[in-house]
Amino acid sequence: MKEKLNALLAEGKAKIEAVRTEPELQEVKSLLLGKQGTLTELLKELPKLDVSLRPEMGKAVNQVKAQLTELLDQRRSELKMKASEVDPDFDISVPGIKPLGGGLHPITQMCYDLNDAFRSMGFEIFEEDDITSELYGFDNLNFPPNHPARESMDTYWLEGHDNGECWDKLCLRPHLTGGSVRYLQTHKAPYRFVYPGKVYRNETTDARHERAFFQYEALIVDKDFTFASGKVMIKSILSKVFGRDVPVRMRAGFFPFVEPGFEIDMGCLVCGGKGCSVCKHVGWIEVMPGGTPHPNVLKAAGLDPDEYTGFYVNIGLDRLVMMRYGVDDVRLFHSADLRFLEQFH
Amino acid sequence: MKVSLNWIKDYVELPQDLDLKQLAYDLTMSTVEVEDTIELAKQFDNMVLGQIKEVCQHPNADKLRVCKTDIGGEIKEIVCGGVNLRDGMKVAVALPGAVCRWHGEGEPVEIKKSKLRGVESYGMICAASEIGLSDLFPTKEEAVILDLSDFDAPVGTPLADALDLNDVILEIDNKSMTNRPDLWGHYGIAREIAALYHLPMNQFPHFDRNVPNTSGFHVSVEDPERCPRLTGTQIEGVYVKPAPYQMQCRLWKAGMRPINALVDITNYVMLATGQPSHAYDSDHIDGHLIVRRPKAGETLRLLNGKELALADDDLVIADDVDIVGLAGIMGGAKDSILPTTNKVILEIANFEAKGIRRTALRYDNRTEASARYEKAIDPERCDQALDLSMQLFREIYPEMKVTGMVDHYPVPLKKAEIDVTLSWLERRLGKKLTPEDVAAKLEPLGYVLSFQGDTMHVVVPTWRSTGDVSIKADIMEEVARMYGYENFEAAPITTSFDGAINQLDKELERKIKEYLAFRCGMQEIFSYPWMDEVYVNAILQSTDGILALSTPPSPAERLVRSSLLPNLCKAVVKNERYYDEFSIFETAQVFRDENYTTPYDPREKLPSQRKHVAGAFVCGGKDVTALFRKAKGVLEMMPRYTHMEGFTFKQAEKPVWADNVVWLNVYLGEERIGDLALLSKKVSMECGVKNLNVMLFELDQDAMVPFRSRTNSFTHMPEYPMTEYDISVLLDGEVKWETIAQTIRGVKSELFHGAAFVDEYRGKQVPDGKKSVTIRLAIGSKEKTLTSAEIEEVAGGVIKKLTKRFGAELRSK
Repeated sequence: MKEKLNALLAEGKAKIEAVRTEPELQEVKSLLLGKQGTLTELLKELPKLDVSLRPEMGKAVNQVKAQLTELLDQRRSELKMKASEVDPDFDISVPGIKPLGGGLHPITQMCYDLNDAFRSMGFEIFEEDDITSELYGFDNLNFPPNHPARESMDTYWLEGHDNGECWDKLCLRPHLTGGSVRYLQTHKAPYRFVYPGKVYRNETTDARHERAFFQYEALIVDKDFTFASGKVMIKSILSKVFGRDVPVRMRAGFFPFVEPGFEIDMGCLVCGGKGCSVCKHVGWIEVMPGGTPHPNVLKAAGLDPDEYTGFYVNIGLDRLVMMRYGVDDVRLFHSADLRFLEQFH
Repeated sequence: MKVSLNWIKDYVELPQDLDLKQLAYDLTMSTVEVEDTIELAKQFDNMVLGQIKEVCQHPNADKLRVCKTDIGGEIKEIVCGGVNLRDGMKVAVALPGAVCRWHGEGEPVEIKKSKLRGVESYGMICAASEIGLSDLFPTKEEAVILDLSDFDAPVGTPLADALDLNDVILEIDNKSMTNRPDLWGHYGIAREIAALYHLPMNQFPHFDRNVPNTSGFHVSVEDPERCPRLTGTQIEGVYVKPAPYQMQCRLWKAGMRPINALVDITNYVMLATGQPSHAYDSDHIDGHLIVRRPKAGETLRLLNGKELALADDDLVIADDVDIVGLAGIMGGAKDSILPTTNKVILEIANFEAKGIRRTALRYDNRTEASARYEKAIDPERCDQALDLSMQLFREIYPEMKVTGMVDHYPVPLKKAEIDVTLSWLERRLGKKLTPEDVAAKLEPLGYVLSFQGDTMHVVVPTWRSTGDVSIKADIMEEVARMYGYENFEAAPITTSFDGAINQLDKELERKIKEYLAFRCGMQEIFSYPWMDEVYVNAILQSTDGILALSTPPSPAERLVRSSLLPNLCKAVVKNERYYDEFSIFETAQVFRDENYTTPYDPREKLPSQRKHVAGAFVCGGKDVTALFRKAKGVLEMMPRYTHMEGFTFKQAEKPVWADNVVWLNVYLGEERIGDLALLSKKVSMECGVKNLNVMLFELDQDAMVPFRSRTNSFTHMPEYPMTEYDISVLLDGEVKWETIAQTIRGVKSELFHGAAFVDEYRGKQVPDGKKSVTIRLAIGSKEKTLTSAEIEEVAGGVIKKLTKRFGAELRSK
């Protein structure tokens, strides 16, 4: 009997340790201590023993019972701590439920990035109407009367408003700069503002040309401001937007409303300046024309060009966004195609 | 414009060790954008001048020959199918490794040693088209081999050297020099290079104008404003023949086709100096040359065959009888160079830029000449062109005689003169400059400077005096670009501003966009400011007060956006192919031909332009209620999340495109600022929406009023539990929630804190014409935890009110 008891204790110990779940533990418990359990069976043999042995044996049986019960309890609380709310088969590899879709247009995103960067440098944001007159579209901007851009091939004139004096002729704005003059006329110098907006050109479209595109103009007018400072400003803005050091260079360029004028190139981010198809193998991308506002433009704004100077850039946002994401067709921006737009969430 | 570096070397001696990349870079940084630098010789790698020693019949092919060809000390057998092969002929041989185009077509291929019909061929004897020279050596037939027997170079010479093709072509972006009339010829570019590298320039040999006018030739200019200068030179003893090879080759490199020596001289002079000229057949000129305006009804047939009915604004060259050319643009067909020409009148003239531009555009007839005149060439350039022309005539026709020469130039060009102070330059450039510094940059460009104290007096050279350089900012630019924009140190930005930037309207727009995108899951789109007729007709159903474009992108897109909905629906239709549930929005301006205002210049009147925001919620299936509630929820919560004054909803005027039941007008105070509605089935079908329900909204964003700051206010959390108690009541189907809510608001109890709509049900479980509405009541006390009896009592009060007002029955609680 003693041996049986010892064997039972050892067996019980092993079984309890092997148990992995509470139901299993319950099974083991009834197997050992239940009505037909092994220990109960042993107890039933007690009366058959010699009377002198009975008290000792009874004690031993109860000890084993107490030991097993303790082991079972211990195991139960262990299992409780480890337990899960779910089946062990629970598949944790299934994907999560997507939150609401939706997003801003990639050009809006870029525009807001620039707004944040410029506002951190004390710039205001300015906006103007899409429809303007030839007076603000061209005349105030020092465009000579026969400038090719004035012709209908480049500008969308409005029917019934395409004749007469320059202030009578209305068009969808072909650029933002005319609107900047409105700002200059209604605010007091010095100024520091950015002006994002869409502009429209009557052009044949292809992967690199669109009829509607997004410009972003930045203008400082102040006494004594050198264009080298402007370059530093542009460099810090672009570096902030792209999150890394962006090389910037300035070279000779011509636009009627600036003097001197220049083209500002940024180092090609696709190839790091080594030369690739995106940058036509020169390592630089032309991103914005700029310059010092032409004395005639300052005069149109009521400022004395001897006293005031400034710095102006006009960033082609479409191009910058194309660069950011590697988009190769500018027409996609106005396609309203969700398969395209959802890529920029 | 294509610029040949060898040609440039005629005018400026370039250093032997000139780095091409550096040259392209320096020109790009300071003058014009060099788009490409092409080393011409590269495409003739592994090609030599060869000579056919013997032409033998190919053993296996009738049309092929086997040519024993000297390729320079070695005789190789080359198989060739040319029709003009002969012994002793000098030819272009492409050796293995060379890259050619077979028969001048298709992709370039590399030549390899190979067997042709069983005979080993060491390369290829080329036709002009196969090595890209068909414009330089035109042939009528494709199978004609390029005959180079006239070339003197020894056999075996690399082809590029033998044909003077060892050159570099700079491709210059024309757009980058629209403001520089002086750069439209090789001489002008040479001048910039000379200035950049401090190199001396060569002049053209002077032509002595004092020639006896033996022919009595003269000119008259009737419109001196449009033609400030006209020189005419009558030359005898010339005839039509090909120009010397070097001249043809240079024309070809610059992108022009050689024609004959007389025409080629005028083109060459234009490419060299930037000054166009024209040669007339003198025998066809009756009397003398007249520059005048056309008379009513006059016509002209141009060299290119175009027939023009001339306008009064045009300027023409005429003789006593007829018009012979369109001034500054193109000669007439009748009187220009003909095969029989033996006497010419060379016209080198200056025409006013704007007039040339108007005429060229009027007839859509822009030429190399008109493009140059449009930039405003200075009249002094005629001298340079005359010098070079006469040098060329002498070289090509040593026997020629000048029999008349007239120069009509009544008012010489006045050079621009500008005063600039050095201190102003320093302030603007951020760099201190001495007179010597400035002179070193400007004098090589032709500027004449004199200094008096701080002031610098600048005399601008003639070639920059036609408007290009006229104010002191121009002088600053010249100094800056010659230094290089890269070479100025940035000064710290010193401007200071008062006050923080607070632009509520700009922030509101951004909040609205971010709310719609990120909180409501909508995708922002961009559309064009014009509308497609189909959608205008379906949605707006009227074009009253809508502006239109004079020259629209297409006839169906002439109307300018007066609402965002047509383009939004077009986008819905476009995306329906790929998605069956989505929501999109756009913010943009809309325009109407009304409410004109004068916000800036008093002379200017601008039409109504309002910023709108519009959205579409699109979903398949029959559950319009869910779609409606989703869209309505977006608008209801918009003011809260974007911090502006709230909207109310009413049914006052149904939008024409809306469903008969599901529509609402959106109000801000008393003002209707937009609509929210389901697109009606009829309009939906007209738009081409196939299966989806479309909820649309459009709001006038300019009417919205942003709060100056946030208005949310804090209330304490309840100390004792607030119970949410749901009841379902059965009422008549037509009773609106708004009325129910209003009725419930009439329950006055300190313990009752409002009711919320949970849902409504119509169907099998309720009788016909009835609906069940589930309402959530908020019940609680500030002082204690309520007992269930107390809660029931409050709920009972609500139910009683509903029963009294609507005859509602309680279904469950």
